[in-house]
Amino acid sequence: MGQKIRKVLVANRGEIAVRVMRTCRELGISTVAVFSEADRLALHVRAADEAYCVGPAPSRESYLAQDRIIDAAKRSKADAIHPGYGFLSENSSFVRACDKAGLTFIGPPASAMEAMGEKTRARAHMARANVPLVPGSTEPLPSVEAARAYAEKIGYPVMLKAAGGGGGKGMRRLNSAQELESGWRAAKSESLNAFGNDAIYIEKLIERPRHVEIQVFADSHGTCIHLNERECSAQRRHQKVIEETPSPIVDARLRQAMGQVAVKAAKAVRYLGAGTVEFLVDAQRNFYFLEMNTRLQVEHPITEWVTGLDLVAWQVKVAEGMKLPLDRPISPRGHAIEARIYAEDPARGFLPSPGRIKQLCASAGHFVRDDSGVYEGYTVTSHYDPMISKLSAWAPSRPEAIARLACALDQYVVTGLTTNIPYLRSILRHPAFAAGAYDTGLLEREHAALLGMASEAPPLPAVMAAFVVAHQRDQQRAGASRRFDGVCAPSPWRQVSRRRRPRP
Amino acid sequence: MRPLSLAAGVQAPAAASLKGVQMRYYATAGRKQIVAEIEGGENHRYVVTIDGQRYELDWAQIRPGAASMMIGERSHSLHHEEEGDEISVYLRSQPFLVDVASEQRFRLRRLTSKFEIEGRQVVAAPMPGKVIRVMVALGDEVREGQGLVVVEAMKMENELKSPKAGKIVELPAQEGATVEKNARLAVVE
Repeated sequence: MGQKIRKVLVANRGEIAVRVMRTCRELGISTVAVFSEADRLALHVRAADEAYCVGPAPSRESYLAQDRIIDAAKRSKADAIHPGYGFLSENSSFVRACDKAGLTFIGPPASAMEAMGEKTRARAHMARANVPLVPGSTEPLPSVEAARAYAEKIGYPVMLKAAGGGGGKGMRRLNSAQELESGWRAAKSESLNAFGNDAIYIEKLIERPRHVEIQVFADSHGTCIHLNERECSAQRRHQKVIEETPSPIVDARLRQAMGQVAVKAAKAVRYLGAGTVEFLVDAQRNFYFLEMNTRLQVEHPITEWVTGLDLVAWQVKVAEGMKLPLDRPISPRGHAIEARIYAEDPARGFLPSPGRIKQLCASAGHFVRDDSGVYEGYTVTSHYDPMISKLSAWAPSRPEAIARLACALDQYVVTGLTTNIPYLRSILRHPAFAAGAYDTGLLEREHAALLGMASEAPPLPAVMAAFVVAHQRDQQRAGASRRFDGVCAPSPWRQVSRRRRPRP
Repeated sequence: MRPLSLAAGVQAPAAASLKGVQMRYYATAGRKQIVAEIEGGENHRYVVTIDGQRYELDWAQIRPGAASMMIGERSHSLHHEEEGDEISVYLRSQPFLVDVASEQRFRLRRLTSKFEIEGRQVVAAPMPGKVIRVMVALGDEVREGQGLVVVEAMKMENELKSPKAGKIVELPAQEGATVEKNARLAVVE
């Protein structure tokens, strides 16, 4: 650390790899991609100056194979590794491997990652730093009896949570003591399957909470600031779908209070670089520490919109040992909102819909940003996360920003596979969302309504267009017969034989 | 004196320029069935008649799969993809699936459809993935809606259910096997 970075290996794929490389290029830094055998044609390979194949399609043999990635960094003579999000971004053993190989890891030190990585350990750290926590056990519970006693003490409803977890796996809501035994068993086995760790702890359930997170940034000179909040309550199964900033429920006073607590949390673990402190906010606007994400978040662009900063550039500069150019928070300017476009089918339980993108017309226009990881003709594989793009927009006010993103979504055409674009459009149109009065349960409660809004019957122009396309198709197939038969339509039998015959 | 206007709105101003084939089409759009006569002419102009209402269409193909369509003076930017008899039309980003068949094809399909409902039902993989569980054996009697095979893709488990009550007569699915989209997993008869 403390040296100018000349070449960065990006240990990731998809839109985030492309986005990191874009900033590197602007900073005059060369870029190195790593890719699996399934990703030879991926956009991030095309975006990089050099690319190294690091193994077969399964992530654990390629994007999670630490040795191979370190080896690629050595071969390419990269001096730093940017982990993006997901994959190895919160893996402290990888940070240590980078340190050992003399590579700068663009992110926090392993110690900060470990302090925040395991949830009960993070809660213990936060309790010591006087960060408000959701009432609950700071230690994993040894037995179902201990769980029963603890739940009685804090009162139902409670949540069982996986200590080693995240992303909603290993979580169970318990409304009463009757549900304890089966919930305990289910949470244990799910947690063991997902994280290889069946430690479970209990938290008091916050009814209809909002998910509000604070972006923090720390340099190696002791400066740590916050860069405002992001409202991420539009979630399904604990996965964020739409994010916005500022939060409709956060005013300057609450922002300052949450910001101060977030900075305190980051300082408590000697944080470095970009991090996010997640909070649950209840109806009375009390906020409680949820967890800290020790990486760049998917939804960082909306913070960039309202602050005018490039967070990846800051990450690189902080890793080079530079001092942060600011020592106090920046007030957010205007409003930004982001939607995650996925190759998935909301009508079929959000089943991923991999396949070839036949046509892609991304939105453009003023104050619209498309963080895409694909291109026309690209095949979305079933090996990785099926996100296509993050589409975001900025405007002076919240209603204008929503309208702008809605128009941008209207224009974003992806053909050949199913996407969630109409679903995203429905969320923006939903009255509760438009009013800013939504919590983390909105998408689940309103699921049927949101799907209904997205699947209206085809309007007349669509039907007419289909008639023309069918007509053109049949005319083409009929070919010569049309000239002889005049107004008679071609026989289907002839069409079949024609299709089977090789074309001259 | 102003020349007498022949018709208001969207009616064809010069029907004589449309010399082409007139065909009847049947479309299923949502739950509605729409019958249309379509007459294709020169210069990408079409006359579509639905329920006695004539619409004049000006169709400009921008590139394969993308077109600018004008119905009278209304401008529509659209994309389209063919999937068998079905046509996906994207009005802006919103896709609409329309099942369109010419008259002959429509009749043919009505004849054959009866057999398909009662016949053998193939349970196929909805997407590429890995078979993680096979819950029936060859020859088993199954209920409608009974889970047959679990396929995992992108870390999500999908239980594929029997479309009808019957007997498992083929069972190509094997636990642990990687399968392509539409791969046959089981056949119920």
